Amino acid sequence: MTALAISSAGAPRAKKLQVAPSTRQKTATNAVPKLRYIVVLLAGIFAILGGQLLLSIAVSGGAYEIASLKSDLRGSHQQQQIVGEEISALVAPDTLATLAGSMGMVPDNNPAYIRVSDGAIVGEAQPAEASSGGQVYATTAGTETITPPAIVEDVFTTISYQAALEADAEDVLAAQALEDLTLEDATATTVGAPASDAPAPRFGGSIPSPVTR
Amino acid sequence: MPHQRVSSRRMGVALVVVFLMAGLLVSRLVDVQVVRADELKEQSADIRTTSEVIWASRGSIVDSFGNDLARHVDRYDISTDPRKVGDFRRDGEVVTVAGAMAEIAAITETNPDELLYAVNKDTTAHFTYLVKGVSPEDRQLLRELRNPWLQMDLVRERTYPFGPVTANLTGMLGRDEPLAGIERKYDSCLGAINGSATYQRGADGIRLPGTTQVVEQPIHGGDVTLTIDSDLQWYVLQTLAEHGSNLGAQYGSAMVVRVDDGHILAAADWPTFDPNDFSQAPVEFMGARSFSSPYEPGSIMKSIGIAMLIDAGYTYAEDKIVAPGFYEVYPGRFIKNFLVADDRQLTTAGVLHTSSNTGISVLADRMPKEAATRYFQKFGFGEVTGVEFLGESAGQVLSADQVDVVTRYNQFFGQGISVTAAQMASSYQTLANDGVRVPLRLVDGCRTSEGEVVAAPTAEPVQVVSASAAQQTIRMMETIVSQGPLRNTLEIPGYRVAAKTGTAEIATSQGYGDDRVISLAGMAPAEDPEYVVLVSFYKPQTSRVSTAAAPAFHEILSHVLKHYRVAPSTEPAVLPPLTW
Repeated sequence: MTALAISSAGAPRAKKLQVAPSTRQKTATNAVPKLRYIVVLLAGIFAILGGQLLLSIAVSGGAYEIASLKSDLRGSHQQQQIVGEEISALVAPDTLATLAGSMGMVPDNNPAYIRVSDGAIVGEAQPAEASSGGQVYATTAGTETITPPAIVEDVFTTISYQAALEADAEDVLAAQALEDLTLEDATATTVGAPASDAPAPRFGGSIPSPVTR
Repeated sequence: MPHQRVSSRRMGVALVVVFLMAGLLVSRLVDVQVVRADELKEQSADIRTTSEVIWASRGSIVDSFGNDLARHVDRYDISTDPRKVGDFRRDGEVVTVAGAMAEIAAITETNPDELLYAVNKDTTAHFTYLVKGVSPEDRQLLRELRNPWLQMDLVRERTYPFGPVTANLTGMLGRDEPLAGIERKYDSCLGAINGSATYQRGADGIRLPGTTQVVEQPIHGGDVTLTIDSDLQWYVLQTLAEHGSNLGAQYGSAMVVRVDDGHILAAADWPTFDPNDFSQAPVEFMGARSFSSPYEPGSIMKSIGIAMLIDAGYTYAEDKIVAPGFYEVYPGRFIKNFLVADDRQLTTAGVLHTSSNTGISVLADRMPKEAATRYFQKFGFGEVTGVEFLGESAGQVLSADQVDVVTRYNQFFGQGISVTAAQMASSYQTLANDGVRVPLRLVDGCRTSEGEVVAAPTAEPVQVVSASAAQQTIRMMETIVSQGPLRNTLEIPGYRVAAKTGTAEIATSQGYGDDRVISLAGMAPAEDPEYVVLVSFYKPQTSRVSTAAAPAFHEILSHVLKHYRVAPSTEPAVLPPLTW
């Protein structure tokens, strides 16, 4: 409606035909966008192609990364399995009993309990018999040839070494205490002193205390 | 101009040649791209495509604390192509074949000469194994050797971390199939099915993105959970080994059962075998005799017999009877006692206390044999236990019309009836549980690889005898521990213990021979039993009386009480009189 209004308004003023300039103008304005479109179109196509190329490079790069991560994962699984096997070997009752025996522990089958509610002692405690400790019996017909994993031997060596060190340290302390006793007067108060110099608990004292229930 | 003509002709020839060549190329292009396109594509895909096995792992067998008793592990078979074996260069230095073999042998702890022999015995062969079953650790070390002709292939192996401890129960896996025990019986839960996939790979072996196609999904095996406490099982097995070898016994079995729910906490058979290396193990030591070997139990059956008689109202603990020196079944056929030849005035408790065969015959005479058979069956004798172990024996209870005049009495002291150690433990669980038999349980369930837990089916508990009959019987069994000749061996300070000994003669084709099965069954704490223990030794040589089984029983029971922190008894025992 507005275009119609404009043309009807301008019609009486412009009587001469002025078609040519307007068409020339039109072609000029038309020609410029055409070129631009082509450039944009081509640029777009190349951008898409380039992008696709980059993407596929990235995807192939990803494939290499996946391959390397997968091999890492396999490695970790394997590591987990190795450690798991070592743990199983160490928590095996046979191993624990042998290790405990090597540290001089003996089973005590007559424990007594302190009832927390009233402090009463229930049961009749008896000292454990040292003779019954440490021995592990063969339970098979002895036909197998399996040797325990190396880790068991390693831990055993470490523990025996530590135990020997501590036994030595205890001997030295005991000897010192005896010396102190004989050197000083009978009224000497040093008898209790070695207790404070007692060797550090085995395994750095990191083994948690049992929870009594 | 001739010059111009020549050049235009030359141009024409050149054009024709160019067009011909172009035509050739185009026709070739059309041939490749259009005519044979599908065929060629397929060929190239075939070359690029490889298939792989997606390994599925067999499930584990775990104890009640989740410790692995059997599980799969990765191992590697090291092999080579003898034609390719030769010296190679590493870091600019030459490694000779002998040197390389020495390196491999050092890592895998094998003999280098054998490795060399494996390669040299047939140098035209395409393949030979060097070392089988190498651990992942050693495989890593072998890889670091950068030996170009070593090949390492993943294999799946079964390992039993605790070795012989639960071997009788888990059984073992053979090369292709499970051979025994839980491994075999629960193969449907444990078993795994490998999957497969295809993918395409480039020249450098890297898989092309987006080409992996899983043809079949792997199905991992589930885990079977046992009720076993492997620490306790180990202790029980150790005790059996110690006392069994001291006694010169052929074999021994022991079982620990939790009274509440019938869970078997330990079921050990000595001697046993190592499932990791069983190729040389004697076959007779490879099963679970507690389940598979029935025997005539002897006097430990008397507690069951007394409970039956009390439940049916034929007697009670303080009932006064005269146990004759000899009980005449019919003229000329007598039942005798062990060492006692005179008449004695015993109570029913006294009959059990002294394990009087004639005394219990007097009592057994009061019960019709049909009723006795029904009771034995109700106690679970003559049928497999709730465990339904692979190859479990049902034992044998004679039907009432098969029971002859002698067997009718003999059954009450454990002859003419054959039972397994598991059934015997189950019957003592019944006494301990106020007369209610909770079927024994060894397998708790199966946890599938998706995490779904399928509990093993449970059978309904059976009230076999009344609570009062069960409790009276336990009071009588307490007298054996606290007042009998074995009290120094059997008593556990702080706890009330009830137990019964048994010495059974082993039936041979010539009647009963010299060999014995000695056993002890009992429970603690007697006022409210929590655990039942049964120990038996087959054919002991150094001592053939049941007292010889007492130390092993005592050690196991006191260990159980300590292991499970059972509160010591506080009520004093009120025990029935033994004589009148």
